[in-house]
Amino acid sequence: MKNGMDYEVLLTALDRAENGPVVDEKIWDAEIIGKNFRETLKKYDIKLEKDDPYVTADDDLADRLWEAGMELAAKTGVYCIDTKRQMQWTRDELEKILAAMPDKVTVGAGDDTATIIHREPEEDSHVVIYGGPFGIPITEELFIPFHEAYAREPLIEIFNMGTLLSTRGRMIRAGSPWESIAAWQEKELAFEILNRVGRPGLAMGCVEIATTEVGELAGTTYGGYRPTDCHKINFISEQKTAYHHLIEASHYAHIDAFSESYFNPMYGGYVGGGAGVALACVSGSIVMRAAYQGTLNNIGPTHVHLSASTHPEVLRALQLGLQALSRNGNFLTSPFTRPTSGPGTKEIFYETGALAVASTVAGCSYIDASQSARGTKTGHASPLEVLFVAKLAHAVEGMSRADAAPIVAWMVDRYKDSQSDPLLGKPFQELHDMETLDAKPEWQKLFDEVCQEVEAEFGLKL
Amino acid sequence: MSNLEKIQKDFLDILLAGDTDKAVALAKETLDSGTAPTEFFEACIAPSLAEIGKRFETLDIFLPEMVTAAEVVQQVNDDVITPAVESSQSEGITSAGKVIMATVQGDLHDIGKNMVVLMLKVNGFEVIDLGTNVSPSEIVERAESESANIIGMSSLLTTCLPYMKDVFDYLEGKNTRDQYKVIMGGAATTPEFSEEMGANGYGHSAAEAVALCQKIMA
Repeated sequence: MKNGMDYEVLLTALDRAENGPVVDEKIWDAEIIGKNFRETLKKYDIKLEKDDPYVTADDDLADRLWEAGMELAAKTGVYCIDTKRQMQWTRDELEKILAAMPDKVTVGAGDDTATIIHREPEEDSHVVIYGGPFGIPITEELFIPFHEAYAREPLIEIFNMGTLLSTRGRMIRAGSPWESIAAWQEKELAFEILNRVGRPGLAMGCVEIATTEVGELAGTTYGGYRPTDCHKINFISEQKTAYHHLIEASHYAHIDAFSESYFNPMYGGYVGGGAGVALACVSGSIVMRAAYQGTLNNIGPTHVHLSASTHPEVLRALQLGLQALSRNGNFLTSPFTRPTSGPGTKEIFYETGALAVASTVAGCSYIDASQSARGTKTGHASPLEVLFVAKLAHAVEGMSRADAAPIVAWMVDRYKDSQSDPLLGKPFQELHDMETLDAKPEWQKLFDEVCQEVEAEFGLKL
Repeated sequence: MSNLEKIQKDFLDILLAGDTDKAVALAKETLDSGTAPTEFFEACIAPSLAEIGKRFETLDIFLPEMVTAAEVVQQVNDDVITPAVESSQSEGITSAGKVIMATVQGDLHDIGKNMVVLMLKVNGFEVIDLGTNVSPSEIVERAESESANIIGMSSLLTTCLPYMKDVFDYLEGKNTRDQYKVIMGGAATTPEFSEEMGANGYGHSAAEAVALCQKIMA
């Protein structure tokens, strides 16, 4: 098997979903997660205060967080909501599973491959940009031009699309034949877009429309998305799975597909505040690898009310979690870029930029960008925010955490007050020329202005 | 500060500390000194829970604290308030309304729905939580069997919106649409979709859901 996957590990995970202790879901949330998180944070003295820098440079704190995460992973495991059982692994088992993780993978095919490597904090190495309008709802009519505008950008090395709002003019119903029809339509449109932009081998995040195993299996069968694409599999917060995710994990193992595991710990939720979220990033990544053996590891902590990954407290927790994972394991990890602001605003650049800088110097291997305006508005996304992330991330590769902290703080100051009443911006078709797909002058001007501000303030070359 | 105001302040502190024994003891002591159970509920429990809801909105406290506070109050109700109401044959605590809550079929996400359930409970609503991945027929049947005032539906996924539409269709089919107020929320829903479906309201957050239910029941 590829990608450090081991069939016995897969079978063991499935066994544990069938044979682990039966646990009431409320006990899982409140005690196995809530109480254990609080106790572990206290035991390891993990704290994140509001006056801490947005990028911490405390290796001891990051390493304590890792130890706390390992202990918690072995104590908690994963909850399977279908069997109501706690899937658990011993620390020895977890260490063996983590030791088998690859520290480098190449996705895509032909001339369009991208190699993702494990990175350490402050490392001067390439951060891969996994770009696109992640999950943004989009009509069938605009699907091709909207995505073509992204796929043609060479800075985007792995491509993820938005979500079809309908299929063949019909509503898409989760778990129904329509999800299967939509998955196949999405695949056909994706390959058409890749051929239009001359990047047929570009790795695709897939299957975007799949909300159950129906879409995933339909979209990755014969003639569908390829093993060289990046298939997706997620946790339900916090550290919960379901049969449909385990079915996907089994499917990926059998077709030797790359997969990106992802989860979204909640700031303000069962894991508590910033320190709890940082711990969840570590603990969740460890048990997610044990449950799914995903090739890539995406963490997208989210503010429980704002549903954004760029809230200042979330950002601070995320970067610490990334540091702990980067310093202590072979994880190929990315943050998930989910700003409150939409395209057509300056704020979206500050939000996505702050996350890109903090994550890059914290040691992420790649960056998922962007689910603009929190993915709530149809067509509210533009390639410019992804390009900004890419330019900024590459500009700070090799930068020290101490030097990055003021850049992040400067950006946070420019968006934090707008987050409670987000600036949703405008849809793609109002910001881009629909013939050339280029950004319209007023939108391009905002992009250029922010680039110039950052260059002037911090001496970066964008 | 009146005596009940001081007790309310103490009760709030006890709820925030999650101390069930102290909360039960304080409730017993207050009722033993002559306060009616309904008066204790209205002067101490309701404002304490409202304050906890506000603190969660601003994230001065987090979800586990709110869950614990709701559980402590449940215990106080079970051990002290309900028996006192029954023995005195006085008028019971009036529910703010009965709400059926569900994350609709195809969607397994529960945290947003759980927050709404908790916030409604701490604001005096009786909530029947049907969980996640709930079929439209089950939502409609439970609303009927529970004689609910409000049906609340949540979804994070656009592909689950058709199941929300089914709920409206089933209610129309049974000629019971006007018996319930139907509200929706979750990242996949929008005010436009809510209006298109003929819903009675849309809430973007748990706090908005509470305000909406209060407005409906006013």
